[in-house]
Amino acid sequence: MMKILHLYYDIMNLYGDYANVAAMKRMLEKNGEEVTVDKLTLGGDIRFDEYDFVFVGSGTERNLRVVLEDLRRHTEGLKAYIDSGKTALFTGNSFEMLGKALCDSTGKTVDGLGIFDFTTAEQNKTRWTSDVIYSCDFLTQPLVGFVNKCSEIKGVSNAPFTAKMGLSNVDGDCKEGVRDKNFFGTHLTGPVLIKNPHFLAYLAEKVLGRAPETDYLTFERAGFDVTLCELSKRMGNA
Amino acid sequence: MKKFLTIFICKLLRFAGKLIGKGSSKPGQVALKLCPDILSRVQLPKYIIAVTGSNGKTSTVEMIAHILTQNGYSVAWNKEGSNQIEGVTTLVLGSATLGGKVKSDILLIESDERFARYTFRYIKPTHYVITNLYRDQLTRNGHPEWVYDALADSITDGTQLILNADDPLVSSFGHGRNNVVWFGADKLSSDTETLDSVYNDGAYCPVCKSPMTYTTHHYNHIGHYACTKCGYKRQNTQYTITSVDLEKGEMTIDGKHTITLALKSLYNIYNILSAYTVASIVGVDGAKIAADMNNYVLKNGRVITFELGGRQGTLLTSKHENSISYDQSIRVASACKDGCDVMFIVDAVSRKYFTSDVSWLYDIDFEMLDNGSIHQIVLAGKYVNDLAVRFSYTDIPDSKIKRFEDIGEAVDFLNSDRREYIYVITCFSDKGKFLAKVKGE
Repeated sequence: MMKILHLYYDIMNLYGDYANVAAMKRMLEKNGEEVTVDKLTLGGDIRFDEYDFVFVGSGTERNLRVVLEDLRRHTEGLKAYIDSGKTALFTGNSFEMLGKALCDSTGKTVDGLGIFDFTTAEQNKTRWTSDVIYSCDFLTQPLVGFVNKCSEIKGVSNAPFTAKMGLSNVDGDCKEGVRDKNFFGTHLTGPVLIKNPHFLAYLAEKVLGRAPETDYLTFERAGFDVTLCELSKRMGNA
Repeated sequence: MKKFLTIFICKLLRFAGKLIGKGSSKPGQVALKLCPDILSRVQLPKYIIAVTGSNGKTSTVEMIAHILTQNGYSVAWNKEGSNQIEGVTTLVLGSATLGGKVKSDILLIESDERFARYTFRYIKPTHYVITNLYRDQLTRNGHPEWVYDALADSITDGTQLILNADDPLVSSFGHGRNNVVWFGADKLSSDTETLDSVYNDGAYCPVCKSPMTYTTHHYNHIGHYACTKCGYKRQNTQYTITSVDLEKGEMTIDGKHTITLALKSLYNIYNILSAYTVASIVGVDGAKIAADMNNYVLKNGRVITFELGGRQGTLLTSKHENSISYDQSIRVASACKDGCDVMFIVDAVSRKYFTSDVSWLYDIDFEMLDNGSIHQIVLAGKYVNDLAVRFSYTDIPDSKIKRFEDIGEAVDFLNSDRREYIYVITCFSDKGKFLAKVKGE
């Protein structure tokens, strides 16, 4: 029996991010596992150590603050989960909570959970959005997707991705996201694990402890190829 | 002199542009370059009515213009839907004398949500309708609260806000403010007690972020809500849909004016209600408005009937990157009693800009199509694989689904001796690719 935690499912779910949970559930089931998904939100009794995969999606800047205050009481639990090498994916702005500090567009700063050393600063003038291509050293193919944010992150020491096209952690440096063991934070939004079936397979291998069966991902792979081709054309023209 | 010249040039460009079929934003763009504060130099009419929101702007503005014109008012409005500051400038200067006086009784402006703060810096609306705030074009708009903040910047004192009471985020523009008119719907026979949607943008109070409860949902997060903590709740409405019968195609406003619907969708009834509200405020009698809206068929070409071989169908223009717009179209198709086929096309996500983002597909409630009267589902376009994956996460049997990357092949497949009615659901960016292959109305 494997357990997935979809945390803040109803308040951090702006761009169809919930689909990542559905994709992981299906992958584990296709590989013979019985899977339960717990959907928890504000005020929930969160016991990280019970889970095999934890997911949090993107939220509005206001909702991120509300969630940060709720998650604060579980800082130790989350830290222990990450340190133990268990698998987690935080998409969109959600991983910004795990840094040292979070500064809003008025300059007001709140403490983050302090699990990582980076700091985040938001602005409210321009919505920074772009289609992206990210490469990384642990996958043979790049990731594709979309970033939709208003923040910049400084001080990440272990960023897993390199932006070949589109937005990164901070302007002027192409590194993107944050990684610690099998915890992945990325500004990619939406159904990241559906758009990138190879990344799903990679994370599933961490969760399962063995290489998963992935032959069923036919349309996912074809969809990835089309998107990568479209984005590459775009990048070529730029 | 500068004013005169700017207006003259703007009119000239507009005239020339119309001859060669060019859009309406260029003349305004040139005018703003020649005289950046031109909008503050013109003399405006008594009524400046602005309409914004995620969905229904164009339809609502068209309806308002229709009602007011029918009742003897002269109305200047942006018919072409150029709704950023350039298009509005073209509209205003085009309707003005060379001396800079807008000749119409009413200036009616459809405004883009994100750019309203620039447009209304110079032209302060006397009445400002906000229809709804949904997840719409998030690849540009960020998210509904981001748009809310941008819109909040466009609202100035002295403007009468006309708000959809049933949309919690929109209604909060009126929180603690005087001079607000609310419109909305009573509990309707088509309502649901629980939310029928993939996501819930009404889960938390827009004011204090505590959980909200609903006594009724009209659709998605539109309904009757109350915060469990701070007391924020749906306002009582001055203009109200008191009943609706979508099957029969009828709505009743304020318990006395019944209107027959040319388009049987909840969307349409809200557009009609907001037009009704505005026209009432201007002074048109309710019975007159109802008569003008009776069986009113929108001219903006968003609902198009067609023939394909021996088969009949309707194209419901929806918006890619706007799940509620899709939900509404899917609701129309899934209500079809005699059995129908439904086609979805996602080929270019946007006609205005490039993106390959398809995350919005996961916010659409395709599950509504899992019923016996939907016979065949045809998916087509460049992003057919993404559509196919999305449908694999519904309970709809795979045997009902056909997939074609090529839109022509999909049309050939539908051009069969089947008798079912066809609904085609797609966006402005892709509808032409389908319509080119069928016989239009």
